[in-house]
Amino acid sequence: MKRVLINGPEKILIAIILLYSIFVTIVNPSFLSLMTLFDIIRSASCTMVVAMGLLVVMLSGGIDVSFMSVALFGGYVSTLLMMQTGINNIAFPFIVSTLIGIALGLCNALLVHWLRLPAFIITLGTQNLFHGIMTTFISDSTIGSGILPSSLGRFGSAAILQFETESGLMSLTASFVPVAAAVVLTWFIINRTMIGRGVVALGNSEESAVRAGFSPLKIRLFVYAYIGALAGIMGVMYIAQVRAAYPNKLVGDELMVIAGAVIGGTKSTGGQGKVLGVLLGTLVIYLLNSTLILLGLSSSWNDLFVGALLVISVAITSYQTRVKNRKNLIFTE
Amino acid sequence: MKRIKRLIATDKNLAILFAVLLLVMVVFAFVFGDSMYSARNLRSMAYQIPEFGFLALGMMFSFMIGGIDLSVIANANTTGIFAAMILTGNWFPGLSEGTAILLAVCVAMASAVVFGLFNGFMVAKLSANPLIATLGTMTLYTGIGMALTGGRGITGLPEAFTAFGTAEVFGVPLIFLLFLVVAVALAFFLGKTGFGRKLYLFGGNPTAARFSAINNERFTIGVFLVIAILSGISGLIIISRVNSAKVGYGDTYLLQAMLVCVIGGIHPDGGRGKVAGVVCAILLMQVLSSAFTILRLSPYAKKLIWGTILILVMGLNYLSDKQVKKRRMRAMQAKALN
Repeated sequence: MKRVLINGPEKILIAIILLYSIFVTIVNPSFLSLMTLFDIIRSASCTMVVAMGLLVVMLSGGIDVSFMSVALFGGYVSTLLMMQTGINNIAFPFIVSTLIGIALGLCNALLVHWLRLPAFIITLGTQNLFHGIMTTFISDSTIGSGILPSSLGRFGSAAILQFETESGLMSLTASFVPVAAAVVLTWFIINRTMIGRGVVALGNSEESAVRAGFSPLKIRLFVYAYIGALAGIMGVMYIAQVRAAYPNKLVGDELMVIAGAVIGGTKSTGGQGKVLGVLLGTLVIYLLNSTLILLGLSSSWNDLFVGALLVISVAITSYQTRVKNRKNLIFTE
Repeated sequence: MKRIKRLIATDKNLAILFAVLLLVMVVFAFVFGDSMYSARNLRSMAYQIPEFGFLALGMMFSFMIGGIDLSVIANANTTGIFAAMILTGNWFPGLSEGTAILLAVCVAMASAVVFGLFNGFMVAKLSANPLIATLGTMTLYTGIGMALTGGRGITGLPEAFTAFGTAEVFGVPLIFLLFLVVAVALAFFLGKTGFGRKLYLFGGNPTAARFSAINNERFTIGVFLVIAILSGISGLIIISRVNSAKVGYGDTYLLQAMLVCVIGGIHPDGGRGKVAGVVCAILLMQVLSSAFTILRLSPYAKKLIWGTILILVMGLNYLSDKQVKKRRMRAMQAKALN
């Protein structure tokens, strides 16, 4: 029994989510409604898209803290382009932003591969670099909702499911579509393609991956381009949702996405992590975010709960690995 | 002259860094003239260096054991908040000013020690990856401070305490002298004591260290303890200097602390580097910061410049490492041929 529980971080997470939901419902019955679920999906949609990219990066043994910069860069620049060219079609910003994301992601990949330094430090550098380039050389003014291309706003408020209830109109946001697409695509890449196998192999051991015939450079290029592309998509989603393009938002929120991935059982040293785990991990964070007020706590308690959850999940997963390694006489510190 | 030559030969990187620092200072003297080296600006630099310097030294220790400690700033802010809570009488009201200050300093240092022990416990006893472990504790410590203050700053500290942050000895800020003393002491510990030897060995190859009768776990906890104490001192300096304690103060210090370590010749994989290099890099950073302030650069432009410098320096380090390796290979080949 104990073994099954510990081996499945997803099971623990589901149990936590259920128990917590029951607890919140007892304290505040208004929590239990489809509306709450749709609200959480809406607010978590951006994070979930980019968290899928982060999962792939972390599976390969790397990490990326520049994706929010990339998202902002892509979203902001594509919005500007829309306004300058007058193209008012929702497909345009998504394509432009994805391409920008891929380009910036490739920069990250090359730097990580060539410099052979911790990816965290390199991407922290590029995070500032990308944000600095955008705000210094392109523009640092806010694009308000008045001048924002109308198709973006329409996408942000569009719904794919809508029905009437006593408490009002309920709708599932259209942002659900890119989320679902990203989830399915990521699952497919990790579990059903050769490149996905290569990502996991690289994360487990670079040496063995090379001997098995994988090229670390190609895998890194793919991995960072993938998170770049998803970040680009996310940037447009975010701008559509808040109906404005601020040059100083998003950057600095990376750590919450990483926290979601880690809580979901993704190992920072690579080779371990699941799509479902990351989804649940992100969900837990947003569940806490949106329910603390229902419990009568202010939102400033957020960090404390997320931090505690993160520390506990890191402690459990790393302790298990340690015990396993010690049994095999592997003394990695 | 001979002595200088020998000094340069012993540590080329440090010599280059020192030369760059001097060059930048001289160039700035011509470009900015008096506004850079006025007594006022020098003094303001001396006030700004310590709080960041202690954090950077902490980051240096984490780099030297091949890890990283993201929680330094959260630690400093939260211990600062604890101290401010006592100083303003929110906790333990009714203490006399002297007792309150003593208690605040003790509580701040004690909480810093607890935070450090917890970081060390996570990394050493649970084998957690330092990056992720300290990311977690960073969020946790920030969360404690956030829950206590609700994100507002705590102001109105007693004057007797803020006097510490503004005190001067012969025109030199007391906190700057404190920083120098601590830096020299750390340099001595790293260079001349067994602790320092162990640190280099442990950082260079932890597995070899384990089999060389070094208690890795206790050692790691010890290093995180040192880092936390440095952060705690920084936290006290911050609140006494700016007269308020707030979550999120000095968020940009994280990037800058890593930048200083990389410029100062600390390799993130561990086992290499000197305190002198980091101190040089801190001075360089402060001179550049000052120049940016005089130029009235926007925070965005500063971000661009820091990011560029970080990537550039890492690139240069990589190239010079490659050069050294090539030369060594060639020397070895020549030897083998002879």
